[in-house]
Amino acid sequence: MTRVPIRSSLKSRDSNSSSTEPDLRKRIKNYCRKLVAFMCTQVGVGGLVVGYAIIGAFGFMMIETQSQIPSAACIRESIRKQYAEELWLSTASNRTINIFDKTTFRMVSNQILRRYQDNFTVDYRKENCSGLTATDLWSFPAAMMFCLSVFTMIGYGTLVPQTPWGKAVTVIYAVLGIPLYVLYFLNMGKVLAQTFRSLYTWLHECTGKRKAGQRITVPSTACLWVIFGYVLSGSIMFAAWEGWNYLDSAYFCVTSLCKIGMGDLVPGWTHGDLTADSQTKLIINFVYLLLGMGLIAMCYDLMKEDVYVKAREMKEQILEIVDATHYQLEMCCKSEILK
Amino acid sequence: MEGDRASCSTSSRNWQHGSYRARDGRRRKRRRKPWGERIADWTRALIAFLFSNVGIVCLVVGYTIAGAFLFTHIEGKNNLDIVADVIRLRNVTAATLWELTFKENVFSERIWKAKVKTVLENYQKKMVTAIKNGYDGAEESKRWSFAGAFLYSLTVITTIGYGNICPKTKSGKMVTIVYAIIGLPLFLLYLSNIGDILAKSFKWTYARCCLCKCRRKPLEMASRANTHDGADTRRNHWQMVDLNESEIDTFSVDRSTSVEDDETRERDDDDSYDPQQVTVPLTLCVAIMVGYIWGGAILFSEWEDWNMLDGSYFCFVSLSTIGFGDIVPGDKIYAAQGLDLSFIFCSMYLMLGMALIAMCFNLMQEEVIAKVRAFVRTIKYIFRCDR
Repeated sequence: MTRVPIRSSLKSRDSNSSSTEPDLRKRIKNYCRKLVAFMCTQVGVGGLVVGYAIIGAFGFMMIETQSQIPSAACIRESIRKQYAEELWLSTASNRTINIFDKTTFRMVSNQILRRYQDNFTVDYRKENCSGLTATDLWSFPAAMMFCLSVFTMIGYGTLVPQTPWGKAVTVIYAVLGIPLYVLYFLNMGKVLAQTFRSLYTWLHECTGKRKAGQRITVPSTACLWVIFGYVLSGSIMFAAWEGWNYLDSAYFCVTSLCKIGMGDLVPGWTHGDLTADSQTKLIINFVYLLLGMGLIAMCYDLMKEDVYVKAREMKEQILEIVDATHYQLEMCCKSEILK
Repeated sequence: MEGDRASCSTSSRNWQHGSYRARDGRRRKRRRKPWGERIADWTRALIAFLFSNVGIVCLVVGYTIAGAFLFTHIEGKNNLDIVADVIRLRNVTAATLWELTFKENVFSERIWKAKVKTVLENYQKKMVTAIKNGYDGAEESKRWSFAGAFLYSLTVITTIGYGNICPKTKSGKMVTIVYAIIGLPLFLLYLSNIGDILAKSFKWTYARCCLCKCRRKPLEMASRANTHDGADTRRNHWQMVDLNESEIDTFSVDRSTSVEDDETRERDDDDSYDPQQVTVPLTLCVAIMVGYIWGGAILFSEWEDWNMLDGSYFCFVSLSTIGFGDIVPGDKIYAAQGLDLSFIFCSMYLMLGMALIAMCFNLMQEEVIAKVRAFVRTIKYIFRCDR
């Protein structure tokens, strides 16, 4: 990942033209070419993705913080007061109900509690009922996490745009971002796959099993082990930070890396309460996810080859089986006829 | 390779002829066929069917239904427990209130209210933990009804993951992990298969209807194009696109499994590629996708009383597999009335839409690759010219 493989042809052409004529126009053109070449390289694409996320984060922060929709019904204090009032009215001060009748009292208060509970549940499920304003919710790391979850198609849904403008911009942002992300995915996959393959070959050479000139395909079990190790380390890391149990954090890692993104467990996000500590967690989650997607792309790249080889082998085997069956059947028929 | 395939298909055809003859002519002798061979035969046919296009749809639907039953079984019990807990909690709170009213001076409003408030606050705290554990306000467990669990399984394997319902129990989470790992490749297979077929039939329709090109063998083409339910071509076609290098590497695992008409199968592989030379314009693909989202938005906004923006936002977020889950065609599904239609419609919309988008990408990729190549060539040409 650290090395920057710039295409050799472009590079040579660059050096050629820059050395011959220090013309301003040429220089600008040269510059542009270099820029494009850099952007097309793997590091450039990664930078582009991160830059896109940062731009999106600022954009969404700007759009969403402009909406100040106060949700009066969401303030729990007032709800509680209102229900206490109601309880008082219906029990103590109500002349029609005998307060010394236990069953009636219980029924009435139970009903009121039931309504209170329903009201409360509905309010709790709404996203903007945490008592935080939009400015608190859309802090920079949270917005960046949102952008990442949009263009990687994870979609946690812990933070969603509330305004119509926010929704429309999300759609446009996704339309532009998803191809960019796919580009990153494929690029990253190729680079990582090359690295991994050379590593694997080198290991093979070390153990001395390899003859010179033999091409080695990385077995898909190795890829699976890599993914497994990544998920394992991630789940241990998140479990340590968040105080989740291992199952929960493994569940989080798998659902995130598979792009399912349930959003019931997100590190650094407990129902809208964001602290400075959890912001760093969001950033680390961001890095973990981007790297993990790259690793998955790598495995895809490597396993594609392996699966191809395996499928061809299987096909040949099937052909052999079919031929053998055909032969046996013919023999069988012949023997039947001869009888 | 080609010769190999041809020999394979002829041999298998011969073999099938043989077996037919055996079945027709001497029924007695067929019984004498060894068991192992017959079982192998059966499994081969079964695998071929499962890999065929009809089979893959059934497989996906069946897998989802199985997942629905599984999750209803696992999660439904837990949900009932939680609901029972909440009801008990409420009764206890009512009892506390009664105690309080009984003991205290009922006629001092201020003191009474203060005490009730503390009781309510306690109650509220317990409610919050209950909600975190998965309580959702409904007395019966409607959330993990069959329809809800079906949608849940579908959102897992399509990687949409709305997250409006998520497993709370340990076993539920574990099963979700395993379910996703098995289901994702299955769904990808479904997408590539169905996308391929849809793309082929769409190309054929486009060539026939819009360009008015008459093919050499329209009948055969028709039979090929309508392989949705037909049984004459079963092939498992995997396509992997490498956008970066702008190359397609394609391979297809052909399985000759035709049981009926051999005549149309005779030249099935070689000259079938002719109508597929047509490139469908990019704008048409984009129009199809936008139209599908638009149609979905209209339908859902009718159905769920959303506005158009919300509807199209929902459709886009679902079909791009982002799946925030803030807007879900939910309430009708989870509140059991009008259940069947809504939930069937929603899952149909999702599955069809995914396949349609796969088709569009399948159609677009050649065009996009060609365009990118042309673009690169022009850039190179410009630079070369200047120097």
